[in-house]
Amino acid sequence: MTDTREAAPPAADGGEPPDGSEFGVGDESGDGPRIEFRGGKWASTVPLVFFIVWAIFQSGVLGIGDTNGLVVGALIGTTLGMFLVRGDWKAYADTIFEGMTQRVAATAIVAWLWAGMFAETLQVGGFVEGLIFAADALNVGAATFPAAAFVLCGLLATGIGTGYGATVAFVTLFFPAGVLVGANPVLLFAAILSGAVFGDNLAPVSDTTIVSAVTQDADIGGVVASRFKYAIAAAIPAFAAYLIAGSVMSGVSLEGSAALRESANALGLVHLLSMGVVILTAVAGRHIVEAISWGLIVAVVFNLLFGLSSASDIVAFTVTESGAFTGLPVVTVGEAAGVGGSLYSGAVGFFPLIVLTLLIVAMAQVMIRGGGFEAIQEFLLNRVATTVRRAELTMVLGTATINGMITINTAAEIAIAPYIARIGEKFNINGYRRANILDANTSALGYIFPWAGGVLVGYQVMVGPDGLGAEYGTDAMVVNPIEVVPYVFHGWFLVGIFVLAAITGFGREYIPDRASEEVSRA
Amino acid sequence: MSVFDKFLAGFSFRGSTPDYAPGDALEVMVTDVEDDGGVGDGTAIARIGDSTLRIEGAPADAVNTRVVVDVDSWDETEHRGVGTYRETVGESAF
Repeated sequence: MTDTREAAPPAADGGEPPDGSEFGVGDESGDGPRIEFRGGKWASTVPLVFFIVWAIFQSGVLGIGDTNGLVVGALIGTTLGMFLVRGDWKAYADTIFEGMTQRVAATAIVAWLWAGMFAETLQVGGFVEGLIFAADALNVGAATFPAAAFVLCGLLATGIGTGYGATVAFVTLFFPAGVLVGANPVLLFAAILSGAVFGDNLAPVSDTTIVSAVTQDADIGGVVASRFKYAIAAAIPAFAAYLIAGSVMSGVSLEGSAALRESANALGLVHLLSMGVVILTAVAGRHIVEAISWGLIVAVVFNLLFGLSSASDIVAFTVTESGAFTGLPVVTVGEAAGVGGSLYSGAVGFFPLIVLTLLIVAMAQVMIRGGGFEAIQEFLLNRVATTVRRAELTMVLGTATINGMITINTAAEIAIAPYIARIGEKFNINGYRRANILDANTSALGYIFPWAGGVLVGYQVMVGPDGLGAEYGTDAMVVNPIEVVPYVFHGWFLVGIFVLAAITGFGREYIPDRASEEVSRA
Repeated sequence: MSVFDKFLAGFSFRGSTPDYAPGDALEVMVTDVEDDGGVGDGTAIARIGDSTLRIEGAPADAVNTRVVVDVDSWDETEHRGVGTYRETVGESAF
């Protein structure tokens, strides 16, 4: 094909892009101090490699999906690396600070804090109950329940941006209702996970979406718009597959559609508008903080206006004794003093991931200053990614592999992001395309394998003394995570589409094709 | 670009060897320098997919920077072209 351009250069040429030097990560040849390691440049990979091994052992082998545990692994790995440094250890310590103060980490952190507040406000505003109303109103039966769960969980995950949160909400409320009306439990759990993949991949407020965009110099709204084609190309056959499988795979015969209706609330569906505000303003090019803030304001107004939640569900100051301010709607008397509400818990919920992110980018910076990053990059570029097709396949399979091993998918995404950026740039592959390759596999693999974080959080709801199995007194409410692997259709289709896209060039864009809006705005 | 266009952008099967025409102004990432047998610094190269654009007049440290290039000539058979450096507009994402 012939690609021609007008004489005018792309919009990006007017300003200074948010480049790697601002992030600090890319400057391996530049102004920062080099760190000499005992054992050469490969020794600089020890902190990150130790962390990855820890993450595989903790989450993959032991099945513990605890982000705080990964923080400890990262801390130990970072400390171990210091003992391998030749000469003054101050340079190593300085590099940790240098890594932690990069813009890439700060950008993701800011977006997560806002996204967390928005997501939790939708949760307390009865969005899930609204979706359950929709399922009931549409008269969803046993055979169509998995397909409906996929669509509705996908909607919730797209709204709240966290596939983990959507999985917990749907396994808690939607899953037992589906099993009671006779849907196959394995298929239903897999459909919920598929919905989580869809939202994690597409939502502008998703942590993985944010990381994929900011690490590839692309604006979040543009990334969401550009990945829509891949998401839909996987979602349509996945929906059909759930309809077919739902009619073939039988469930247990329990009668309980009443349980579904009990929690239904039509008003919760107003949050489709809150969600729409965020998506449309982000895609229209507004900054993600502004987009989420507008969505948050709309959600709070809806919650209060329609009585979906109280003011104290959103912000709550709990005091131990009555006083002058206890008459206020946001001040309550309780046994322990504290602050709560959706804004609080939504933001605080991201704290472990924020700390982990700071440590991962610090370890990556150690690799860069020690020469390990460059060594791996040179190996990939000289031996593996020798053509654009092979480069894209390397990006797809590399992202899939690291996400298959590390179950906290955002952590895996941050670790592989610099390689995706550099390999892609060596072939002038556009930032939108790189972000899409990075996030599709991150989102998909985070919800397929039994040790994946998304699967584990759903499984946790089913097992234990307070789990669904105990509550309903039947094993039908507990699904073995291994059994769901083949049925997470949207996840598998998304990976498959990107393998095909790399081979065929579907959706491929080069850097000269168009510039990121954030770049042109800078 | 309109919101609608953003959704449709890239909705095609794109080849490995994009071609351009003289007169085009491209923003590209400089990916390499041409091997000149050690005579000098070498000419900057932008690899776009599996196509190659030689960039004359680029700074010596242009690799891994984004530059705007005016395309002077392009061979659609070889998927190679020559252009002139205009300005540097950015750097690598990492």
